[in-house]
Order: sequence, then structure tokens, then C-alpha cells
Amino acid sequence: MTTRMMGEPVRRVEDRRLLTGNGRYLDDLGADAVEVAVLRSPHAHAKILDIDVTGALEVEGLLAIYTYEDLTGPLADPLPLLIPHPALTQGRTQYPLARDEVNYVGEAVAMVVAENRYLAEDAVERIVVSYQVLPPVVGIAAARAAEHLVHPDVPGNVAAHLVQEVGDAAAAIAAAPHRLELDLDVERSASTPLEGRGVLARWDTDAQRLRIWTSTQTSTGVRAAVAVKLGLDLGSVEVITPDVGGGFGVKIMHPWPEEVLVPMAARALGRPVKFTEDRREHFISSAHERGQQHHVEVGFDDEGRLLGLSVRFWHDHGAYIPYGLIVPIITSTQLLGPYKPGAYRVEFDSLYTNTVIVTPYRGAGRPQGVYAMERTMDAIAGYLGLDRAEVRERNFIQPEEMPYDHGLTFQDGRPLVYDSGDFPASLAKLKKLVGWDSWPDYQARARAEGRRVGIGLACYVEGTGVGPYEGGHVQVETTGKVKVATGLTSQGQGHQTAFAQIVADELGVPMSDIEVVTGDTRRFPYAVGTFASRAAVMSGSAIALAARAARTKILKVAAEALEAEADDLEIVEGRVRVKGSPGTEISLGTIAVLSNPLRYAFDEASKAATQFVVGHPDLPPVGEDDEPGIEGKDYYSPIGSTFANGMHAVIVETDPDTAEVKILRYCVVHDCGTLINPMIVAGQVHGGVAQGVGGALYERMAYDESGQLQNASFMDFLMPYASEVPASIEIDHLETPSPLNPLGIKGAGEAGVIPSAAVFAAAISDAEGFEITSMPISPSELFELRTARRAAGQQEGDRS
Amino acid sequence: MKVAGEAVLHAPLDRVWTALRDPAVLVTTIPGCERLVATGPDSYDMTVTAGVASIKGSYAGTVSLTDLPEPNTFLMKASGAGGPGTVSADVTVTLVEADDATRLRYDADAVVGGVIGGVGQRMLAGVAKKLAGEFFAAVDEVLTGARAVQPATVAPADEAGTSSMPMVYRDAVPGRVAARPGEPVSFILGAVFGAATALLGVLVGARTARTSRNTRTARRMG
Repeated sequence: MTTRMMGEPVRRVEDRRLLTGNGRYLDDLGADAVEVAVLRSPHAHAKILDIDVTGALEVEGLLAIYTYEDLTGPLADPLPLLIPHPALTQGRTQYPLARDEVNYVGEAVAMVVAENRYLAEDAVERIVVSYQVLPPVVGIAAARAAEHLVHPDVPGNVAAHLVQEVGDAAAAIAAAPHRLELDLDVERSASTPLEGRGVLARWDTDAQRLRIWTSTQTSTGVRAAVAVKLGLDLGSVEVITPDVGGGFGVKIMHPWPEEVLVPMAARALGRPVKFTEDRREHFISSAHERGQQHHVEVGFDDEGRLLGLSVRFWHDHGAYIPYGLIVPIITSTQLLGPYKPGAYRVEFDSLYTNTVIVTPYRGAGRPQGVYAMERTMDAIAGYLGLDRAEVRERNFIQPEEMPYDHGLTFQDGRPLVYDSGDFPASLAKLKKLVGWDSWPDYQARARAEGRRVGIGLACYVEGTGVGPYEGGHVQVETTGKVKVATGLTSQGQGHQTAFAQIVADELGVPMSDIEVVTGDTRRFPYAVGTFASRAAVMSGSAIALAARAARTKILKVAAEALEAEADDLEIVEGRVRVKGSPGTEISLGTIAVLSNPLRYAFDEASKAATQFVVGHPDLPPVGEDDEPGIEGKDYYSPIGSTFANGMHAVIVETDPDTAEVKILRYCVVHDCGTLINPMIVAGQVHGGVAQGVGGALYERMAYDESGQLQNASFMDFLMPYASEVPASIEIDHLETPSPLNPLGIKGAGEAGVIPSAAVFAAAISDAEGFEITSMPISPSELFELRTARRAAGQQEGDRS
Repeated sequence: MKVAGEAVLHAPLDRVWTALRDPAVLVTTIPGCERLVATGPDSYDMTVTAGVASIKGSYAGTVSLTDLPEPNTFLMKASGAGGPGTVSADVTVTLVEADDATRLRYDADAVVGGVIGGVGQRMLAGVAKKLAGEFFAAVDEVLTGARAVQPATVAPADEAGTSSMPMVYRDAVPGRVAARPGEPVSFILGAVFGAATALLGVLVGARTARTSRNTRTARRMG
């Protein structure tokens, strides 16, 4: 029997190639391409009075300069509003090149094509733009105050206002024995992949076809957008996603201006054209996330059980809102985590500001929601003098209550129904892993030594594997090799390994005989994309179904060849054999040959399928419901998302003098259903935790009051290094399979980052003895809080 | 960004006041000044070459000076743009008599955009102060006679040979004007003067006379 691959910590098959420098990223392609540089707005808010390109025309090697006036047809329209929503009444998107005004520093104003990037940048420097600077709206406070407007026709800077309510939260809170209010802030951060955006386009004049390579999380999305914008048939556009050096959400946004402009230029110039984003451009012209302000009102009983919860929050979505309300909708629904909130009301405004657009970044609104909920749990425990884990436990949805319907609408437009999960078991595992019950002793001993240590705990539930669908295609070649394709893209998740594991089990072939291709519209033209921790769930399921279809065909052909019943056959190590009689077998390659009736032989093997060798003279060579070849194609489209969950605990120590935060331990209990590859899941958790450490303790977007991003480089934007991420992240898994898909799997890609703000705020609060309400928190901010608190205590002392 | 500082100039207040508003002095003392053209009373177009760290480039812009109601105080407004970014600054300069010298205080409020805004911001205040120091030191040298003021000005010669406004105090365009006095085009951030220098000499804004306004000449070739 072939070793079962599902659940095995198989080493990633892509790593040798990637780690030895043999990856092919966007900028490795198109050696013959001419290059693009983009002139970007230096102002956060301004009218464009004049663009004078005269000075640039002398630059040697210049091929073209485009401004808004050069855009025609659909290209002259604003870029798509990708996800419309009835509440999004004031949706605005940018033009590929700014028309009359710019609304953030970094907005594309002109595009230059030259023989290379150096020359293109030289030309960009020589273009003179006259601006009339307008007052910018920077930050949530300014957006809410609406003293100035980002878009003059959008009152109050409000793009959307959405309320969801289950029960009468206000009444429930009013009637509750205890009430608390919290105000919480989270600042902006960003996905920050090491490889920025990039696109290469090649127009084939002879075939009148366009081929695009782009560093994206959705090749089919880009394909559809480019076809529309350039007025091409979908069938005339191919989009290929090469190796992608990280996405983390930002590359699900599409089309970026360059993704339509570069193909436009390639077609106009008849030359391959490439855009490779530089680091500063990534900071100021891609996307950010996270910035929100929350006001929480909660009513609870003596045991800390929630009776009513009302959350009002404000979401900063930047200058335009191409990705719709996905992030704040996720915040407003996933905020609930593993808890029953009693009556629940959530209301948000999505606000325009003169800053970079906001689109989902790993976690996608969940970190903010979880932070609000978990800080509330901590506040309740503190108020009642109860154990923080105890309060959480009392509010958990119980396993026997699954599936659990919250009565809300989730980000996919479907009811928020948890499919499975065992929260009490998860918490029990986490308490054991971190040593929760012995914590008070540890803390007391540490305090006696003059050390400040604190523990934090945070729980989350994550809707993963959102629809609408993904597909898979599995083909057995006459060599016996198995070719697998799915339309969604890969950005380092190990899809080639995980999907091959699934196919290996379904078809009984060795991993080494399986090749997986993702994100290539030539191989699989129907797909949605890689986001929302959905690839394993969606494409994994679709590929499993496709492999099962291929398996059925294999067994049918084999049964005929071996003169046996299909039910008596098994596939082991790439050979079909009759169970119990190992001598009677046939290879998958031969089956692939036999499945395709031939007139012409081209080698020894194919002779076996020619017309004088096989087939019944009385039957058609290919049966009515049959097809030649061994191929399986299927789609997976679930009724709703599947909900993974997890709980994190962190122990920190804060320096009494410098206020530096040191991580002593980081523990994770994670439930993503059936594990395909525990090593890959652990890697996802590690990466998520690392990003979470950055988001909680280091990263922020330092906009000044005029809307200039002051830390638009890795010199000033602090990403954590290996030295800041805990060397050991302790992980325990729980596996509650999802009933919604054939493999029982749930998504794992975002999990690690979701509870970070919450868990660090809790641990630092515990160490310091006062509440942290604004994240991220830097040592200097913690120091200031201590100083302010001491001063306040001093005054208090003076009065008494 | 706010930058403030002080300098002591070794001359009586009225001489300092005059020197700081004398284009012939300014053109000699502003670090990196390549071009200074009077466009009206107390207003100039200028071009400055400056750099913050590795971000170097040429900036074109305008500077204007106005008296403020407070005694011995004037406001310099400067704005400019170039490849590396944009700067606009309001600089208040106040002079106070101090024995045989004059104490000068500048308070600048600047908005810095573009590459220097995002990448160089952390160094800007420091660089601005350093440049302001260099500028005031140079002015002090003029006041104390250690540095010669470039006499002149080159009258702009139009085709007809008549001379009229604007007065060109320096123009680095080859073949047009007075050679620069050997001072290296330094690594200076800004340039305008005084505090503006300090602040980035980057100033400028309005386009120079050579480029047309309202010509949206964007064009695609090939």
C-alpha cells in the first residue's frame, strides 16, 4: 500500500528551486522588455493644473509618455469597483492615470516607457506638473471631523455606513447588571511582501493576442479586467502568474493602474513592456490596512456572560475604495470570535482619507475585530475580578451547538454560520501548553525579583475558504506522469506540495510523478484567486474531486484491459492491479495510452492503442459518455465558508527602564480541520505570528499631517527581524474536520496574524498593570504611558 | 515639519537686515544656488541643487519675502519642485540686537513631499539645520568682509540688447552667464536662504520662464 500522504509533514517540493535562486519572479522575466517608470503625486490632495512633458522628450531612449489624456475607451474610465455592496453608496475609484486631481501621495499621474528603467526615471524627473495643493484629510479623526473632504461630492467623507443587529443590543446592555465601555485604536500597517508589484506584457502582433505575466493573487481577475479595459475578447488574453515573492493580501487587489497601462503600451508600441515596482512605490502606491477606531459597549452578568454587545467603529479605507467593504464587514462579523454575544449590534462608517488605499492584508479586518472583542473580555474579567480564561470559557459556543448561526451576513454575502469547532477543547489545550494555571505564581515570583512580566490570551474564529468556487484539472499522461492544474495562484504557500499530496492519495501515484501548475489561464481559465485562506479548501477540494473523476476513468479502462471488475482494482505506486493478485497489473501510462484510441502510432507504447489492436468492432471507439484520455475536471463551490479557529497566548517581559517589550514565550493552539501537511501549516503559523509581532510592536504607517508617508523605506518602516520573532513558537493542533468539503479541511494562511494585537495588548497590560488601548505600541509609547500614569498618580496623591 | 534655530551674525542689525534681503549676497551665500532671477521686489525664481543622503537633484522654485508687523521680522515663503520631490516652507526670520552683533532666529514650517519626504524625512531636520548653519556662516563672512560679494548681476540680454527685468543674479546655464565662483555645488538640501535653506532649499515651484504654462503637451510617440 502506498504511504498515505495527507497529514504527512512532507518537505516542500518547491523549496529546492526557490532556495537555490532558481525561482522565476516577475523581474526575472522579459529580458528583452522595455521598461516603465511612473510619475507619482508628491501631494496628498491637489488639483492638477498642467502637465508639461517638454523637458522629458529629449531623454535618449524614451519611447512614450502617457497621461490621462492619452487614455481612450474604457481605459479613460475609473478603475473597477470590484465588490459592490448596497451600503456602499459613495464608491469612488481612481483613474489609471490621474485626471484632474490627485488624492494621495503616490497616485499615478503619468507613465513613461523607455529602453530601460534608468532612462524612464530620467524622463519622469523631467516632467513638470503644476498642482494646486488642497487641504488633505489624514487619519480617522480628520475624516470623521470632515472639516475638509477628500471627494467634494462625498459628504462627511463617508463611503458607506452599515449596521447589522441581532436582538436589541441597546436594551440588553441597559438591562444588564454590569456595563463597560471601551475605546480602542489600531493603526495602519501593510502586507509588505519582499517582491513588490510587477507586470510584463507581450502583444503578439501576428496572432493579435496579449500575454501578461503579473505578480498577482488572481490571474483570472487580471485577465478579465484587462480584456474589458483594452476591449479584447477574454480568449485573446492570457495571464500567467510566475513565482511570486509574497502577497499577503495586497496582490489580490486588481487591476492596479500598471496592470492595464503596461498591456496598453505593449500593444501600442509592439514591444514587450515591463513594470517593476520599487520599494518606495510599494509603500505609497499599493495598499495598506488595519487603521480603525472602535467604541465598544458591553453588558454582562455577574459571571461575566455577555448579555449585549454594541460596537461602533470607523474604518479608514484611504483615498478610493476599489475593494469595497470586505475589510470592515469581516471586522464586524469576525469580531464575535468563539463567543455568543447575546444581543449584538455593529455599526461602521467606511471613511475616505487622502492616503493610500486599503485592501485586505493577511487577517483582513479580523485582527482589529479580535482586538476589540478580546480587550472587552479582559475588561470584563478585570472588572469582575475573574480569571480571563474563565470569562472566555463561559461565553464560548459549545461544540454541540454547531453548526452555529449568528444571524449575521458574512463577507461572502452568506449567513455567518460556524460549521464546526471545539472551543473548550482548544482553550484547555492552550492553558496546558502555556501553563496558564501556574501563571499567578510565576508572575508573583518575577515581581518579587523586580521583573515585569505579563501573559495575554486571545481567541479567534476565521471564516476561510470563501466562494464562489475553484476548479481543478488532473491529467494522466502516457508517461504515467500526472499533470495537475488549478486557476488560483501561489505566493509561497507550498501549493505544489499540498495539492500533490492530495492527488497522490486519490490516484495512488508517487509525489514525484505529480506536477502542479497554478495561476496560468492557459491551463485553467476559471478561477477566483488566492485570498481568505481559501486555496487549500477550495482548490484542494476541487483537485480532489477532479482526481476522483480521473480515477474513475483509470479504473474503467484498466478493468477492460485486465478483464476485471473496477471495484476489484486498486492503484498502488502508479500501477493498477487486481486486489489480492499482485501479478495482474497495468501502469497508469499504459492506461493513458489505451484511453485514447489512435489511428497513428508514434512509438512502441502507442501501438497498443491503434485501430487494429484495440476496440470492439461493434462499438464506437469512444463511447457516448466518454472522452479520450485520462482527464478529470471538477469544481468545488461550497454553500458557505468553513470556520477555522485558534487561541494564542504570549508571555512578555517589559524593561522597567527602557520599556522594551521582550517575548518570553509564544503559544498557539490551532484548529484548521484536517491537516494536509502539518509542516506547511506550522510554517504558515510561524509566518503569521512573525507578521503579527511586527503589527503589534513595530510597524505603522507614519503619515504626517500633510499626508506624506514619512517611513516609506525599510530603513524607517520596522519589520521584525528573526531577532524580534520568538525563536520558538509552540504549537498544538486540534483537528475538527469541516463537514463542508470532501477533505474536511479549513484554511490556515492567515491564522497566525489574527490575534496578535489583542494578545500583545493583553500581555503588556498584565505586565504593566494598566490597560493598553492603542496598537501597535512602541517602547517610547509605553514609556510615555508610564510617565503619564505616574504623573496622574502623583496628582491623585497630592489631592488626597 | 518644523525646524527652528538661531545664529549670531557679527554686524549691526540694520546691516544684517539689508544683507539678508540683498540678492547679490544671497546668491553668494546660498549653498547650491545655480540660478537666481528677480521677478519683482523681494521675489525671485531660483534653481538649487541639493541632496539629502543619496537623493540628489535640482529644484526650481520661487521665493518671496514680506515684512511682518513685528519689529525686525520678515516672512519668507518658498516653494519648489524637482525630481526628488517638492518643498514648500514658511520661514519667519526675526532679528534682535545683541551687543555688536545680531541674533537671528528662524522658525520654519515646511511640507516636504516626494522621495525626500518619504525616504529622507528622518534626516531632513538635521540636514536643514546644518545647511542653515552654513548659510548664516557664509552671510557672516560677507558681513565681516571675509567673503566677497559677487558684484553682479548679469542683465538679461534679450535679442534687442535692451536690459530690463528680471535681473539675473546667477544662471548656471552654460554660455549664458556669470561663471560660478568655484564653490562646489554642495550637498545641500535646500537652499533658499536662511532658514529656507535650511529647510530645504528645495524650493520652488513655479516654472521657470522657459517652460510654458497650460500646455498639456503630453504626447505619445512610437
